[in-house]
Amino acid sequence: MSNETIKPPDTRGPTGPIPVATFAAGIISLLLAVGGVFAVQYLYAAGNRALSPDCRERLTIQVPGEDPKLQEGGAGVCHIVDAMHSDLQTALLWTGVGIGIAAAVTGFGMYKRLTTKRMRSHSIAGAVLGMQAVLFGAVFAWFRSGDTLIFARNFLKFSVLEGSMDGFIRGAKNTLILAFAGEIGGIIIGLLLALLALSARRVVRAPARGYVNFFRGTPLIWQLSFFYFMLRLGFGLDVSSFQAAILVFCLNTGAYAAEVFRAGIQSVERGQTEAARSLGMSYLQSMGYVIVPQAVRRVIPPLMNEFVILIKDTSLIVVLGLTADELDIFSFSRQWFSDSRNATVFLATAAAYLVVTLPLIRLVNYVEKRMRSGLVGVSG
Amino acid sequence: MSVTSGRKGAFRLLVLLSALLLLVAACGAEEPDDSAGGTGPATATEPADEEPQFSTIEEGVLQVGSCLDYKPFEFVKNGEEMGFDVELAEEIATRLGLEVQWVTANFDTIFTAVAAREFDMVAAASTITEERLAEVDFSEPYFNARQGFSVNTNETPDITSVDDLQEGDVVGVQKGTTGKAWAEENLAPKGIEIKTFDAAPDAFSDLEAGGVVGVVNDEGSSIAEVETRSGLEVVEAIDTDEHYGFAFSKDNPELTAAANEALAEIIADGTYEQIFKKWFPDLPVPEEYAAS
Repeated sequence: MSNETIKPPDTRGPTGPIPVATFAAGIISLLLAVGGVFAVQYLYAAGNRALSPDCRERLTIQVPGEDPKLQEGGAGVCHIVDAMHSDLQTALLWTGVGIGIAAAVTGFGMYKRLTTKRMRSHSIAGAVLGMQAVLFGAVFAWFRSGDTLIFARNFLKFSVLEGSMDGFIRGAKNTLILAFAGEIGGIIIGLLLALLALSARRVVRAPARGYVNFFRGTPLIWQLSFFYFMLRLGFGLDVSSFQAAILVFCLNTGAYAAEVFRAGIQSVERGQTEAARSLGMSYLQSMGYVIVPQAVRRVIPPLMNEFVILIKDTSLIVVLGLTADELDIFSFSRQWFSDSRNATVFLATAAAYLVVTLPLIRLVNYVEKRMRSGLVGVSG
Repeated sequence: MSVTSGRKGAFRLLVLLSALLLLVAACGAEEPDDSAGGTGPATATEPADEEPQFSTIEEGVLQVGSCLDYKPFEFVKNGEEMGFDVELAEEIATRLGLEVQWVTANFDTIFTAVAAREFDMVAAASTITEERLAEVDFSEPYFNARQGFSVNTNETPDITSVDDLQEGDVVGVQKGTTGKAWAEENLAPKGIEIKTFDAAPDAFSDLEAGGVVGVVNDEGSSIAEVETRSGLEVVEAIDTDEHYGFAFSKDNPELTAAANEALAEIIADGTYEQIFKKWFPDLPVPEEYAAS
């Protein structure tokens, strides 16, 4: 009860039937256009429909001396393509686009003449949703007009994924090992480099700059094979490709992290150093107790961003030979691709990377938010 | 003869000239239509069977897809495509009155690409398999591909055959190859680890560096790979009953037939032998490919 009384007064005014209808039309149009595609796909995938003769013919294989048969996974591909071209799909798509156009036209046409804020926001929302439906419909219709059968056979033949789950899980584990090891090593190297790069003495600065320029300026893919052979042939170390790759990811990430740290340290106000020094701290003490702790807070979001990038960069390990236990997500899918000769596996690969990166991206955003609010709290 | 009946002679000369012109045009000229006026009557009378029965994406040109990184079958040196497959493909094209245009392609997608007619033919040392036949047509086999087992004699002088491999040894293969399938079937059960490489040369580099104790890879290319690397040697040939063929789109059976005819000719007249000896001086010419 008391909560309701605290509620601020409604200043947005009542809405009217036409803005509400526009809003509803926008939602319906998007549902028909986008949702329709999924619904029709589901209908065809789940239902036991006969394949269209054209699709059946094009996916039938003729091995000399055998009866012609539908190629493996052909039924699934045909369902996708048939659904895409079905009358039901066409009807849903164009109905959605039609309603979308209507919503956009009425929404944009009337919103300036509307009297309350809520009316305007409803009509605008309906118009924008309608435009999204129209845009999606146009793109989908354009895509559908091409040779979708060959596309679907190469990129949407989900039967080739059968049995790949274990490999993907092992790949995800290895990808995360590579990325975590690379990031932790990189942070240590980066912090040291940043301190060197900020030195007042040129002789100290120069090697750090050279290191950063070298690792940021050359392709990681080259660094991987170069360092692997350097370690084995030059230094005579019996390292595996995987170990060499971890080292290279550390060295490479170190260069990027060094720049992040340098920027972070430099962003701490000069007065902080001066105050620390005037209290009698040495340069290293002021760095260690005053500057770096402040800088670390500021560099955590960009460092985590680097980490998300590194997760995907670990895929470059594919240039080194890997045993079955060492395969990361990408090299595993490359092999699966070579063996199945079908690119559908890369759709699963993209999904696997998303499974790994999305939680981390969310974490980055969360940490960034916390940091920002923390800073506001300090200054306010 | 040409003196007595000048008119007839002139006509024959015209036919001959126009035939020549046609040939020249087919060999890379861009506008064969220019001579259409002159060839009109000639083509009407006799050389109807000279008309190519097949079609290519671009008239007069045979677009051949290949990875061009697989010595000695196909590779690029000083900007020029060369190798066993390259010469054979070019010889076939010449006999079909076409000029070869090389298209660099990724081996992973090469069959999909030729099926979609991105190029006319694949010459990429590709084994004829049932799975691939589902997607493309193959020519008659043009090479019996055995697998070679290569070792590093500096590091492991006592390994002279795959039977000498111990449990825990690491053997290199290229992904998606027959060598990989063979190793997984025959070596992996014995506890030998398979290390997969993206490209074959990487596997041989790793053999040099001691990262693997052996490499299972196509014999022909293995021989070429070990040649330039000290201490490496192909110590064993493994027959896997695999044959290379040129791949074509299923929509173009006429071109496949024409290429087969040309290939049979090339084998019969000894041209195949010449090309084979040039690229595989250490291998005997197989019986089925000897000149008849």
